[in-house]
Amino acid sequence: MKRIALAIALTLPAISQADPVVDDIIDAHILPTFETLAAQSQTLADVAADDCDPTSDALRDAYGTAFDAWVSASHLRFGPTEADDRAFALAFWPDSRGATPRALNVLIADEDPIANTPADYAEVSIAARGFYALEFLLYDSALMTAGDAAYRCTLIQTVTADIATTSQSIIDDWQTSYAETMRNPGPDGFYRHVEEVRQELFKALSTGLQFTSDTRLGRPLGTFERSYPARAEARRSERSSRHVMLSLAALQDLAARMASEDADLADALDASFTRALTQLTDLDDPTFAAVSAPQIRIKVEVIQQSVDTIRAIVGNELGPTLGVAAGFNSLDGD
Amino acid sequence: MKPTYFASTALCLALATPVLAVETTDVLNTYADIAAANYADSLTTAKTLQAAVNALVADPSADTLQAAKSAWLAARVPYQQTEVFRFGNAIVDDWEGKVNAWPLDEGLIDYVDASYGGPTDENAAAALNVIANPSITLSGETIDASAITPALLEETLQEADGVESNVATGYHAIEFLLWGQDLNGHGSGAGNRPWTDYAAGDACTNGNCDRRGEYLVAATDLLISDLEWMAAQWVEGGEARAELTADADAGIAAILTGMGSLSYGETAGERMRLGVMLNDPEEEHSCFADNTHNDHFYNGVGVQSVYLGSYTGIDGTIVSGASLSELVAETDAALDLEMRGKLSDAVLALGRIKTAAEAGFAYDMMLERGNEAGEALIMGGVNGLIDQTRSIERVITALGADGIAIEGSDSLDDPEAVFQ
Repeated sequence: MKRIALAIALTLPAISQADPVVDDIIDAHILPTFETLAAQSQTLADVAADDCDPTSDALRDAYGTAFDAWVSASHLRFGPTEADDRAFALAFWPDSRGATPRALNVLIADEDPIANTPADYAEVSIAARGFYALEFLLYDSALMTAGDAAYRCTLIQTVTADIATTSQSIIDDWQTSYAETMRNPGPDGFYRHVEEVRQELFKALSTGLQFTSDTRLGRPLGTFERSYPARAEARRSERSSRHVMLSLAALQDLAARMASEDADLADALDASFTRALTQLTDLDDPTFAAVSAPQIRIKVEVIQQSVDTIRAIVGNELGPTLGVAAGFNSLDGD
Repeated sequence: MKPTYFASTALCLALATPVLAVETTDVLNTYADIAAANYADSLTTAKTLQAAVNALVADPSADTLQAAKSAWLAARVPYQQTEVFRFGNAIVDDWEGKVNAWPLDEGLIDYVDASYGGPTDENAAAALNVIANPSITLSGETIDASAITPALLEETLQEADGVESNVATGYHAIEFLLWGQDLNGHGSGAGNRPWTDYAAGDACTNGNCDRRGEYLVAATDLLISDLEWMAAQWVEGGEARAELTADADAGIAAILTGMGSLSYGETAGERMRLGVMLNDPEEEHSCFADNTHNDHFYNGVGVQSVYLGSYTGIDGTIVSGASLSELVAETDAALDLEMRGKLSDAVLALGRIKTAAEAGFAYDMMLERGNEAGEALIMGGVNGLIDQTRSIERVITALGADGIAIEGSDSLDDPEAVFQ
């Protein structure tokens, strides 16, 4: 069978392999997600240009809205987000070696002129770029007051402008070429068969779930003997739990579209996401600060188990339904 | 002429296929034979290192320190090739952190430069300095460290406080004790620990030379016992070999999982691309010895050897047999050709980094902000590894791993097992 399929593909290279599932995900999930990210990032840069006071409500609100847009896109790590290290430049986390505060402190102490223009700033370490670096500049008591105020203002404006540029580059790539690349797999294309396109989307879903379970929830949870609330994502801006919620909501939408050809599976997935999201709402601990307390720890573990249940359904049922194998992701390794 | 030739070739292959049919069990045996030889070579070179370390501590001098460094560098050549046995084989993963954990907060072990800083949010023991302190406090508990023994390193200090960067054992701890911190930033030069850090009496520099020697000997002894254990798991009757061959399809999936995970998430991602993006001279795998170019290169060679079913040992002995390459060729000859091409390209790209580094352009210099030639060299290796991972995924699909690869993948182990 395999040989015959290959022969047909070679003989009829002009026939495109339209896949309604892929088309729907591109049109209704991916493109709107990156359009929102680009728009909210531009708004953030515009607000910062007018008001760089780290305590300003307007700036912090714009930051929160743009960061929301990133988290909702953060599972779509392939193609345009990986070109030029764009996703890393928007979101370097986790930072287990403290590279972000260290890099920012060096820039501020040196008043490094590289922060004067966003174009130059693209050369800077990813640790000093993007939403997580900006969080230190807006919410970390030490970095909010470090060094020269005028330099810090420039730095905030440059970091936000750099975020806007990067976000715009991602949607530009999607609109000008990558959507077509995914819609038209072929023997000479980046994706050779529609199965490879489906595998890419499947990997985005499974890797996104893994990241939320292992990293967003798993890092503060630590081990039974020792939890690490200081490792919670974006705890300074009190966004840790919110990021779990936003990522699950985005993954729920993607999963529903991927399972659209199997109503029972779609229902099972939807119920499993809803259960995890309800448990998270009930937890009511924005930064997982209380994770060391046994009764809270158990609740966070239950949420993590619920996410892992979704992963099991995705791996054991959705994968075979779509006809794809798991493949490798960047979280493989140690 | 051409079509005729092609047709006759195809015919020959078709006729020859039944005779040449590759047995999956033979492929697995070749793989296990390579693992056994590769870990045995790692052990042999580690024993040479041990002899050199003992000579350094018994008779400290610039020469004995240099001999120990040379032995460490030689020991890395076979070991880095074994990393392809990780990720697919649980028995290797459960063990690997003892010998090759990285990155490390070296202030746990010995004195560090003032620029290193102290304890961090992530690691309260980052500057513990056990060599200088016969009594230490970990997680609020006072610990007697008056004798530096393998047990102290392995049971108390390794991953102390549940922090992975508390690396007390293995190649990189030994590397730090031989080279010291590389304080040259992005400039040329590796760590430059004086041999007098091991000198007796008044000649001792930086204090506690006897305890430093004690630590170095204990860490090297542990490396030997750990490698002895792993080498034994791969010989006939060993547990790793038994697990691999228990289920032929799962065994093939384990091979491919190791190849893909080492190529992509580990070497291309965590070890290479992250360093380029952070522009941090500490973000290199052997940051004290400046041996990172070899770490990555021999990872690439290891992946290639496993696929081709042929390993060249430290004394030139070649271990080879039925290969994954032949197995793939039976199903899809074009894919096998693609896979072999990608593996060669990646090794070549990693070789370019090695060539430049050996000519004086060290890996930490390549990582400097704005160093475009260095970035291009490293990203060439990264792209080669990412590219070969895509072909590995195609191999998994072509061999119809039946979802076995999913179970075998490090990132997709049965999630329900997390809390068991």
